[in-house]
Amino acid sequence: MSQEHDSLYTTLEREALICGRCGYCRSACPVYNVLGWESAAPRGKITLAKEMFSQKQPGELTEEFVKRLSQCTLCGACGGECSTCIDTRRLWLDLRRRIADMGKEPKAYAAIRDNLLANRNISTFSNEERLEWAQDLDDPEALEPRAGAEVCYFVGCVSAFFPQAAQIPLAVAEILTGAGVDFTTMGGEEWCCGFPLISAGFVRDSEQFIRHNVEQIKKLQIHTLIASCASCYHVWKYDSSQALQGYELEVLHTTEYLARLIKEEKIVLNELEEVVAYHDPCDLGRNSGIFTAPREIIQAIPGVTLVELQHHHENALCCGGGGNLQSVDPETAARISALRLDEMKASGATILVSACQQCEQMLTTAAQKAKLPVRVMDVSQLLLEAMG
Amino acid sequence: MSSETLQKILDQYGDRATASEWERALYARDLAPVPALLVNPLFRTRPDIVVRPADSEEVAEIMKMAGRHRIPVTPRAGASTVYFDSVPTRGGILLDLNLIKGIVALDEAAMSVKVKAATTWGELEEFLNRRGLASKSMPSSAPAATVGGWFCMMGYGIGSLKYGSFFSQVKSIEVVLPDGSIQRVTRETAPALDWFVSSEGTLGIITEVELEVRRLNPMRHFVLQAPDADKMRAVMEILIQAPLVPYNLHFSDQQCVKAMYDLGFSPAQMETGCLLGIDYEGTEAELKQAQEMVDQLIAGDKAVISLPRETAEQEWQERYKALKLKRGGPSVLGGEIWLPVKELPAYLEDIRKMSRAYALPLISYGHVVTPEYATVMTMFYADETKIIQYIVNLSLVKKIHDIGYRHQGHPYGVGLWNTPYLRRIYQVPELTELRKRKKTLDHSGIMNPGKVYRSPLMLNPFNFALAMNVLAGVRRVLGKGW
Repeated sequence: MSQEHDSLYTTLEREALICGRCGYCRSACPVYNVLGWESAAPRGKITLAKEMFSQKQPGELTEEFVKRLSQCTLCGACGGECSTCIDTRRLWLDLRRRIADMGKEPKAYAAIRDNLLANRNISTFSNEERLEWAQDLDDPEALEPRAGAEVCYFVGCVSAFFPQAAQIPLAVAEILTGAGVDFTTMGGEEWCCGFPLISAGFVRDSEQFIRHNVEQIKKLQIHTLIASCASCYHVWKYDSSQALQGYELEVLHTTEYLARLIKEEKIVLNELEEVVAYHDPCDLGRNSGIFTAPREIIQAIPGVTLVELQHHHENALCCGGGGNLQSVDPETAARISALRLDEMKASGATILVSACQQCEQMLTTAAQKAKLPVRVMDVSQLLLEAMG
Repeated sequence: MSSETLQKILDQYGDRATASEWERALYARDLAPVPALLVNPLFRTRPDIVVRPADSEEVAEIMKMAGRHRIPVTPRAGASTVYFDSVPTRGGILLDLNLIKGIVALDEAAMSVKVKAATTWGELEEFLNRRGLASKSMPSSAPAATVGGWFCMMGYGIGSLKYGSFFSQVKSIEVVLPDGSIQRVTRETAPALDWFVSSEGTLGIITEVELEVRRLNPMRHFVLQAPDADKMRAVMEILIQAPLVPYNLHFSDQQCVKAMYDLGFSPAQMETGCLLGIDYEGTEAELKQAQEMVDQLIAGDKAVISLPRETAEQEWQERYKALKLKRGGPSVLGGEIWLPVKELPAYLEDIRKMSRAYALPLISYGHVVTPEYATVMTMFYADETKIIQYIVNLSLVKKIHDIGYRHQGHPYGVGLWNTPYLRRIYQVPELTELRKRKKTLDHSGIMNPGKVYRSPLMLNPFNFALAMNVLAGVRRVLGKGW
């Protein structure tokens, strides 16, 4: 299933029984394609989950099973292929939650939680430094939280704290300023969206992060929120609906908002002679249903030729960076990135564009490792370049 | 197998071999939901070791070692059948062939492609479609089934009605024989290609297949609703006999239509009647001809209704997903029958009677795969967590096969679980010939033992029939509402 509202998910116990073990999921699974063992394939994991949770006499939770469950990017490709329409992404999250509830989660997950509870962000920096990246702007003060702004830009932890990703929020801020948008941020009151906690199975812990962020939005009287991180966007769009009940908030990914600005002719674009390939981030594309907006932006730039990678839209390959995989098995994550980069090589493009900080980071590292002469960037960076 | 041999393989294949008990357990099953309570006392389904060879040379090396030590070898790729074809019966070495995949060579002039055997049909189709080509036919489990695997089975599915069996499209195969020799096999070699078709991995391990392809043509899809099976069969007959043969012709009986409706999967929210999906591929002129023919058919028979074009398109998009019916389960049991098309209404009528007798909805659907034959899946819902009831329910699978047999049908595929029906599937001379081939190529019996040629003691036809009939009797008396 792609978006949450399409889900036929019932319970973990029942879905594990429904699985027909047909194996359609295997070809689509990046982890299986890299590791090759039946236990690494979605159907293998569901078989083990069935023995563990669906039988009258529950099976033993083994370390091997916990490890295999953590070797998943939550890309959702298996769900798209599933012949019995199992919302596998939800099933993996449910399984991780059960394991966390038993206190059997991988050590790396516990470290993620401890750090988030201490710092409110995924880095080790103080959350007060959320707007450090904005120091490179002409007027960094302008980004301090301001009530009643037309738009709030939810920056996300990776963009805010990791220097290699800082070009993305800078680009977004410059574009919004250039287009005359009345926007603000949540500054130091922006907490992690909660996605790493949800992915690790700590759903209850994630709720306090979601509630905090929603309270801040309400306090600032914001009614349009944009996020440049695909995972933050997914949490705001689908996991925050209960906390947002009764409050009107339009949640958009930056690509949706920027495409809107282009249509409204608030952005002037210069010619850029480039062949650009677009990588669909799993949380934005397959898991949230946004495929058109980023492509519209790329195609709006005069001179740019958009080429599709071999697997695109709903069938796009994962970059390897999702589902906290990097924290437990960076080698497998890197091998998955290399698979995606092979498609980039075959495309003939000189720029690989995505719309997710994590994808950009994974693919940049893979390109450097492969010494591939391509530039990897966010859609907003490409757009800013075209604005001159 | 000795620990010395096992260690030798582990040393040689490194991280491509495992003796982990936990990992091996996952190779002890295929799609068939047969309870461990039944399987474990009869067979040693957990292999001693799982190896993932990368090419035919490595397969050959392992076969030679297995031959020297008389170790059973079970090949496995998609593992997408329900007959335990790719599940060991005596432990030994399980060869996970999934690394042997990819396109070897495309010859557009000859309209053929050479692929490694564990390439899935989904992967092959993606490769061909990007080049304006397509497979002539493919299994309805194309996303998981492999090219080599389908050759080892009977090889009828989507596209077979127009292009014939998969066997007819294969030009050559590369096979590693049980003695470890690697041979290129054609229709002219000895052994010839026909030895290996339907051999279910018992004569050797296919590592490469050379097959014919076709141009990727535009398609037109139709879904017709007929009030009953008789009318459906009459429409089928017209379509089969028409000068323009459909690429694919599939059907669902009333109970299947109702089950789809109950699950919210029904095309165009149909709750009653039988459905007939018809797919044509060809030139625009041919598609126009198909459209005119279907229009004429509908105009001439008010009882047959054509569903909207988008419904038909959707049905085609969902062609690999018949298993979604399993959501009504959680488990399903059933049998797949090779059945004369002319017998379809009578078969479905008997299935309806059985359904009434056991107070159990029986769902049937299938594909017409030759002008004379269809593959029909008849299934029912069960719950594998209720173990006793589930085992009793297994007896009804035999009842379904019995109905098929009464209508000149037989199980589609043998493997392990259909060995009690061997005499229904093959005539005595045919079976004698198959056994002779097995003995010629695999005299020590290490290649996928326990499948195809003879039923194991507990599954011999007499014991099996007796046990199943008793259980079915119990089910009939006590099992209403299970």
